[in-house]
Amino acid sequence: MNVPQTPSNVTQQFIQENDSVSLYSGLQAVFIRNFKILWQYKFTIIVGFVNTLIAASLFYYVSLLVPQNIIRQDGYVVSSVSFIFAGAMIVDISTKIMMKSMNSFTSEMRQGTFETLSCLPFGLKRYFLSEISFEVIYGLIISILNYIPVFLIFPLFIGFNISWSSLLTLLLLLVCILIFFFSLSLLAANFTILVKRGREISMIVVGLIHLFSGSLFPLDLFPEWLRVIAYFSPMTIAVRACRLCLFGNGVITSEIVWIAIIALLVSSTLIIFLFNLSYKKIYNRIREKGTVHEF
Amino acid sequence: MYAIAAARVKMSLSYKSSYLIVLFLNLVTITMYFFFSRLNPDMAVFGISASYFEFVFIGLALQFIVGTSLATVNGSIYNEIVSGTWSSLLLHFNFAEYAIGTTLAGTFLASFSIFISLGVSYAFFGFSLSVSGIQIALICLLFLMILLSHMVISMLFAAFTIYYQKNSGIVPLLYQLTKTFSGIVFPIALLSGFPTILSRSLPLTYGLEALHNVILSESIQWEIIQRNSLVLIGFIIVLGILSFIFVSKSIKHSKKHNKVDWY
Repeated sequence: MNVPQTPSNVTQQFIQENDSVSLYSGLQAVFIRNFKILWQYKFTIIVGFVNTLIAASLFYYVSLLVPQNIIRQDGYVVSSVSFIFAGAMIVDISTKIMMKSMNSFTSEMRQGTFETLSCLPFGLKRYFLSEISFEVIYGLIISILNYIPVFLIFPLFIGFNISWSSLLTLLLLLVCILIFFFSLSLLAANFTILVKRGREISMIVVGLIHLFSGSLFPLDLFPEWLRVIAYFSPMTIAVRACRLCLFGNGVITSEIVWIAIIALLVSSTLIIFLFNLSYKKIYNRIREKGTVHEF
Repeated sequence: MYAIAAARVKMSLSYKSSYLIVLFLNLVTITMYFFFSRLNPDMAVFGISASYFEFVFIGLALQFIVGTSLATVNGSIYNEIVSGTWSSLLLHFNFAEYAIGTTLAGTFLASFSIFISLGVSYAFFGFSLSVSGIQIALICLLFLMILLSHMVISMLFAAFTIYYQKNSGIVPLLYQLTKTFSGIVFPIALLSGFPTILSRSLPLTYGLEALHNVILSESIQWEIIQRNSLVLIGFIIVLGILSFIFVSKSIKHSKKHNKVDWY
C-alpha cells in the first residue's frame, strides 16, 4: 500500500475502491469486531435491562396521574398508560439507536482507534456506513430485548386491538423511522468527528425530540407557535401516526400516516445528501488540523 | 478543601459546552412536565395542596444537584486515577478534603440550574412561590442534608473505584432509581409493594418529602420534618463511617500493591 503524503492523498486513498475489500467483507469484519467488544461488556447489557425497567416505571406511574386515566387525540380515546408508553417507547428506542452510534464514534476517537479504522483501504464512507448499520441493528435488537421484561411486568396494552392493515402500516412507519435515524446518525457522526462532542450532540437532539414528539401528552397542549416548531421534527408526526395506527385504526391512506411516511423519507434523503456533501470536507479539515483522534 | 473546590470549578467551567448542555436539558425536562401538568393531574388525591407543576418543579430543580453530588466524588477519583494525578493528590490532601471540595464545586455550579429554572418558570410558566424566613432556613438545612447524604454514597462507591481501579457503573443506575422512585415526578403514594421498599431506601425520598412539606403545605408539619431529617442524618452518619473505613482500606491496598495510579 502506498503511504499517502498529503491530506488530499489520504482522502483520495480512502475513497478509492479498486484496491479495497468488498463492502460485504468490510461490513462483516466491523460486525464481528463490534460483537466481540460488546461481549466484553456483559454487565452493561444487564444494566440496560434494569435501566429500561426503571425508565418504564417512571412513565407508568406518571401516566397514572392523568385524570380518569384516559387521553383523547385524533378522534380516539385511549388509556393514558398505553398512550404514554407507545409514544415514549418509540422515541426511546429510536433515540437510543442514535446515541449508540454517537457514543461509538466518540469512543473510537477517544481511544485513537478511529484513525486506524478510517485509514484502512476499506474507505471512510464504507466505514461510516458499516459502523452506523451495526449500531442501528444492534441498538434496535437490544432495545427491543430490553423492553421484554417491561411488557411482562406492566399492563401496558390491556384490551388492545389492532387490525392487520393498521399493523402493516405501523411496521412500514417503524421502518421509515429506522431509516430516518440511520441517516440522522450518519450526519451526526460526521459532525462528531469534527467537533468531538458526540455525546453532547446526541443529548440535545434526544432532549428536543422527546419534548416535541409529545411522548408524555397530546400535542394540543402546545401553544400554536410551539406546535409549528414541533412539526419541524419528523418524529413529531411519526409518533402521532404510530399512535393513530395503534389506537385509532390508522392505515396508510390516513392523512397523518402518509404525511408522516413522506416526511420521514424526504428528511432522510435530505440528511443523506448533506452527509454525502460534507463528509469529505470534514475529514479533510480534521486531517489538515491534525485532530483526527484528539479529544 | 478550598483549593480543590476552586480547581474543580475552573476545570468544570473549561468544559462550558457540557455544562450548558446539561442546563439546557434540565430546562427541556421542566418544559416537558409543564405541558404534562396541563392535563391537570389531581394532586389533592395524594394530600398535596399544590398544582402538579409546583410539585414537580421542586423535584426536577433538585434532580440536577443530587445527580452531581452522587456522581462527583466517585467520578472525579476515577478520572484522577485514569489521568495519573491521584497519587499526587493523596500527597497533598486527605480524602475528606477531596470529597467535600469536589462536591462543593460540583453542586455550586449545578445550583445555577435551580435559579435558571426558577427564572424560566416565573417568566414563562406562571410559576410563583412565596416563602417565609423560617421556610428558607428549613430549605437550606434540608438541602445540605440531601447533599451530604448523596456525597457519602458517592464516597462509598469511590472505595470500590480506588480498590479495583475501575468504575463500577452502579452510580448511574442509582441515579436512575433516585430519579424514578424518590417522588420527583409523581407522589410516592402511587407506589405499592417492592417499589415502596425501593423508594424508602433512597435518601432523596425523605429529603423531598420534607421539602414538599415545607414549601407546598399550608402549615409546616414538624413531625414529618423531624422524622425525615433524622433519617437523613442516619444515612449520613452510617454511610459516612462505612465509606471512610472502606476508602482507607482501599487506599492502603492500592499503596501496598503499588497501583495508586496504575490503570
